[in-house]
Amino acid sequence: MAVDYVARSRARTRRRETADVAALVRRLDWLLIGFVALLVAYGLWAVAGITRHDIAGDPNYYLVRQSVYAAVGAIGLVAAVVIDPERYRAWWRPLFLGTVGMIVLVILRGVESNGSKRWLDFGFFRFQPSEFGKVFFVLALAGFLAERAQKLGEARTTFRAVGLACVPIALVFLQPDVGTAMVYAAALAAILFVAGTPWTHLAGVAATTVLVAVVLLWAAPAGGVHILKPYQVNRLTGFFHPQSDPGGATYNIAQSKNAIGAGQLRGRGVNGATQTNYDFLPAHHTDFAFASLAEERGFVGASILLGLYLLVVWRGLRIVTLARDAFSAIVAGGIVFGLLFQIFVNVGMTMGIAPITGIPAPFLSVGGSSMIANLVAVGILLAIHVRARGVRR
Amino acid sequence: MARRAKEVLSRRFLPRDPRTVGPYRLTPSLALRIGVLGMLALVVFAVLFLRLWALQVLSGAQYLRAAQNNQLRTVRVQASRGPILDRYGRVLVTNRAGTEVQIWPSDLPKRRSDRVRELREVARIVEVPLWQIAAAIRKHRNDLLTPVTVKTGASEVQVGYLWERREDFPGVRTANTYLRSYPHGSLGAHILGYVTEISPAQVKVLAKQGYHPGDEIGQAGIEASYDRYLRGTAGVAKLVVDSLGRPRTHLNPSTMAHPGNAVRLTIDLKLQQAAERALQIGMEDARASQCYGCWNANGGAIVALDPRDGSVRALASWPTYNPSVYAGRVSLRGLDAAGLTPKTAQPLNYPALDRAVDAAYPPGSTWKPVTALAALEEGLITPYENLQCTGSYTVAGHTFNNWDPAANAWMDLRTAVAASCDTYFYRVGYRFYGLPARLGPRLQAWASRFGFGASTGVDLSPERTGLLPTPDWRKATYTKKTDPRGWEIDRLWKPGDSIQLAIGQKDLLVTPMQMARFYAMIANGGSLVTPHLLMDVEQPPSNGRRGAVLPTSPFAAPEPTNVDAGALEVVRQGLLEATHSPFGTSVGVFGGFPVAIAGKTGTAEKTIDPGDGYPRIFNQSWWCGYGPADSPTLVVCALIENGGHGGTAAAPAALHVFEEFFHTQVSTTGPVHSD
Repeated sequence: MAVDYVARSRARTRRRETADVAALVRRLDWLLIGFVALLVAYGLWAVAGITRHDIAGDPNYYLVRQSVYAAVGAIGLVAAVVIDPERYRAWWRPLFLGTVGMIVLVILRGVESNGSKRWLDFGFFRFQPSEFGKVFFVLALAGFLAERAQKLGEARTTFRAVGLACVPIALVFLQPDVGTAMVYAAALAAILFVAGTPWTHLAGVAATTVLVAVVLLWAAPAGGVHILKPYQVNRLTGFFHPQSDPGGATYNIAQSKNAIGAGQLRGRGVNGATQTNYDFLPAHHTDFAFASLAEERGFVGASILLGLYLLVVWRGLRIVTLARDAFSAIVAGGIVFGLLFQIFVNVGMTMGIAPITGIPAPFLSVGGSSMIANLVAVGILLAIHVRARGVRR
Repeated sequence: MARRAKEVLSRRFLPRDPRTVGPYRLTPSLALRIGVLGMLALVVFAVLFLRLWALQVLSGAQYLRAAQNNQLRTVRVQASRGPILDRYGRVLVTNRAGTEVQIWPSDLPKRRSDRVRELREVARIVEVPLWQIAAAIRKHRNDLLTPVTVKTGASEVQVGYLWERREDFPGVRTANTYLRSYPHGSLGAHILGYVTEISPAQVKVLAKQGYHPGDEIGQAGIEASYDRYLRGTAGVAKLVVDSLGRPRTHLNPSTMAHPGNAVRLTIDLKLQQAAERALQIGMEDARASQCYGCWNANGGAIVALDPRDGSVRALASWPTYNPSVYAGRVSLRGLDAAGLTPKTAQPLNYPALDRAVDAAYPPGSTWKPVTALAALEEGLITPYENLQCTGSYTVAGHTFNNWDPAANAWMDLRTAVAASCDTYFYRVGYRFYGLPARLGPRLQAWASRFGFGASTGVDLSPERTGLLPTPDWRKATYTKKTDPRGWEIDRLWKPGDSIQLAIGQKDLLVTPMQMARFYAMIANGGSLVTPHLLMDVEQPPSNGRRGAVLPTSPFAAPEPTNVDAGALEVVRQGLLEATHSPFGTSVGVFGGFPVAIAGKTGTAEKTIDPGDGYPRIFNQSWWCGYGPADSPTLVVCALIENGGHGGTAAAPAALHVFEEFFHTQVSTTGPVHSD
C-alpha cells in the first residue's frame, strides 16, 4: 500500500497556492494599479513627444528605452507584490548594510557625470543605486523603528533612528547628490512622523535640520568654509532671487519658466516646442521633463499629469491607514511621502518655486533606475494593501 | 521531555513578536498624523496647480514672447555700397561679393576652455592670428549682440569647412558681404579714399545719423565725403538659432536693404590715368636732369580742372597706394608694406597724403601773377612801365638774387611774367612794403581775395589752407615763448618779407588746388570757382524703385573777384608769352603744342630733410597754366617735389595732361630755359 503522500502534498500545495494567488489578485488595489498604469502610459506618451527631435534619425530612441524600463519595472512590481513585507522587516539590517554598501561602491567605483558620481556602469546599462536606495532606506528605517515600537516615546530611539539615517544621507550627499539626499531626509521625516515619534522630538529634528542648512548654505561659505560647492549653493538658493544671474546658475530656471509659460493653455505641440527642440531647455528629457511636457502639451497636458500624481498619492495614503502592522504603515508612509516630495521638488523646480536639484520626475523623466525603483515602490504599497486589515478576503 | 519539545518547536515557529506585530491600531493620534500628511499633499498639489496656472495661463503670452525671442537673432544686413563712376559712367570703384566669417560673442561656449579651443580652431582655419580675433572680440565686449567680423573675403574652402562643421562651432557664422573692388588698382586712390569698419569713436559721434557698430564707413576721399549717398540703407533679417547659437534657418529678411547710390564724379578716367602717368614723367625728367636734389624727386601732385565751373577732371598725387588693402580683413602687415601706418609712412614719403589738397608748398614764381594783379590794382605799376631786370637786387643792405644772374634788361610787366624776372618783382614787392601801414597788407589782401590762405571748398577732406603771411601773423607767431632768442626781430615785418612774398617765397605756403583755382580765375575772366568732384548722385533701380538722379545741394557758383579786366588781360598775355615767346620759361615745352597753352613755371625753395638727417634747401618744381589760351577749358597745375626747375619736371608733366585732354601731341620740343 503505497500512499502517494508526496503527490498529495504537492497537489495541496498547488491548490493552496492557487487559492493564495487568487486571493492576492482579488485583494489588489486595482484603483492604484489603474492610476499607476495610466501614469506610466501618459509618461511614455509625453516622452515620445519630448524626445522626438533629440536623436536625429531615430525619433523613438528614448521611447523604446523608457518602454523597456517600464516593462522591467512591471516585473519588479509583480515581484514586490508577491513578497511579504514581513521579510523586509526581518532582514532590515542586511538591507541597510546593502544600501550603504552600494552608495560606498558608487563613491569608489562610480561613473562621474556633471561633477557627481551617481552611476555604476555595468557595460550594457548604467545603474543608479541611489534610486533603489530610496526604497531600501525606507524599508530599513521602518524595520528599525518597528522593532522599537514600544520605545518610540524615548528620545534615545529618535536619536538612534536619525543617527542611523544620517549614514546613507551623508554618503549620498558626498557623491555629491544633494537632491537625493534631500529625498532621503524627507522620507526619514515621514517615517518618524508616521511611526508616532512625539511632536517635541520632531520639532527638535526640524530645528537641527534648519540649523545645519543655515550653516551649509550661508554661515560656512560666509566664513570661507565650502562644504557645498558654490554652484550647489547657488542652485539651492537661486530660486529666491531668480533675476540675479540669468546666464549662470539660474539660466536653467529662466529657460524652464519660458518653456512652461510658452506652452500656455493648449501647448505648442511637438514640432512647435522651440525651447525643447532647440535645446534651450537643459536636460529636457530628464530633470526638466515636466517643463518640456508643459511646453508641448500646455496647461491641459501638465494638469493631467499632476492629477494622476495626486490620485496615486491619495491611494498611497489610504494604504497607510489600512496597513496591518506598524512596519507596513511606516513603509507605506515613507514611500508615499518620498514620492510626494519628489513630485514637489521636481515640478516646483521647473516652475521656479523649489531649489534646483537633480531629482527626476517620477514616471516621466527618462531613466531606467528611477522608473524601475518607483514601480517597485508601488509594488510594495500593493503588497501592503494585499495583506492589510479589513480588506475583504 | 516536554520542555525540550517546546524549545524545539519554539525554534521552528517563532512566537509572534509582540513588540512589532502587535495588532496595529489606527489610534486617533495616528489618524491625525495621516490626516496631516493628506492635507500636506493637498497643499502641495494646490501650490503646483496654482503656479502652473499662473505661468501658463495668466502670463503665458509674456513667456511665449521670451521663448520666441530666445531663438531669434536680429541681424543687420549691410546694403551694398554704391559704385563710384567717372564723368562718362566708367567704373572707378565697385563691389565684389565676398564671404565673411563672423563671431557672435554671446553665442560662444560659456566655458573659457571650450571658448579658447574653439577660437584657436577658427583662427587656424581662417588663417587669422588668434590674438587678432581675441582683440576684435575684446573691442566689442560691450556689445555682445553685434557680430565681430574676423575675416572678410574668406575662401570657398574655409567657408565650406566651417559650414560642414557648424555644429562644432557655436557662435561662428558665415555671411555674404560686399567688398570694395578697385578695377584700376591704385588709380585715383586719393580721390576715392577707402572704406573700413566704423570705429567706436565714430559710432559715438555718428550714431544719430543711423550708423551702427559694424557698419562700413568711408574714411577718406569721396568715400568719406559722400558716404551718405554711397552707404545705402541696411536691412534687418531674422535668424533662428538653437541654445548654442547654431543657426537653424537661413536669413529671413524682414526689412530689405537698399543698395547705396552711385556717385558720379567729374573725373575723367582717361585724363586721370594721364595725370598719374604725367607725375611719373615729371619725376623721371627731374631725375634724368641730374639737377641738384633731383635724385630726391619722389613726390608730386597734379590738379586738372575746368576753369568755367571748377569741376575737377583729374587729381593725382604721388606716392600713392592701392585702396584694396583696406578691402576685406585689413592686415597690419599689408598696411605697413603700403606705408599706411605711422611706422612706415615716413620712409615711403607718406603715400596716404593727398598732396593736391592736403599739402602746402611755397609757390615760387607761379605766384608772380598774384603779385602782378595786386600791383596793377593798387596802382603800384602800370602795364607799360619798365623796370630793370638785373642779376641781383639790394635793399637795406640785403641782396636778393635773380634766378638768372646774367639778366640785365628793362622789362614791362608782361615780359617780366613771361621771363619770370625775380628782380622786377623784388622791386614791386618793395613798393608794397612802402605802402602806408594804415592800408594794411595790400598784396595779402588781394591774395586772400584770390582764395589763398583759406579752404577752397573742394569736396575732399582734410584740406590744408596753406599760409598767407601778414605782419599780424608774424606778431602772433613769433613771441617770447615760441622764439626766445630772436623774437624781438622776427616778429617784425621787414622789407625782405614783402620782397620775397612777391616771388612766392619765404613763409608763403599754398596747395596745388589753391593754385589751380587761382589760375582758373585768370582763365575764366576773374571768377573764383569752387573746385568739386561730384557730378551727380544716381539712385539705382532696386526693389521696385526706379532709378533716378537724386538732387544734391549745388556747389557755390563762381564768385567774381572784381579784378580789373585790363589787369587780367596783361597777366594773360604774360602767361601766353611765357609759353610762346623766345624768352618764355616753358616755351621749350609748350611752344610746339598745337593748342595755345598759357602758363607759368615756378621753382620754389623749400627746406626739406631728404631722410638723411640733414635738412637743406631743395627746389620744388611747379607749372600752372591753362589752354586753349583764348577760351580756356582746362587748367592744369603740376607740382614735382624736389623736381628742380619748373620747366624741367612740372611743365613736361602738365604737357602730358594737355596732350591727353586735347588728344594731340606736341610736334617739337625745344631747349628748356626756366626758373
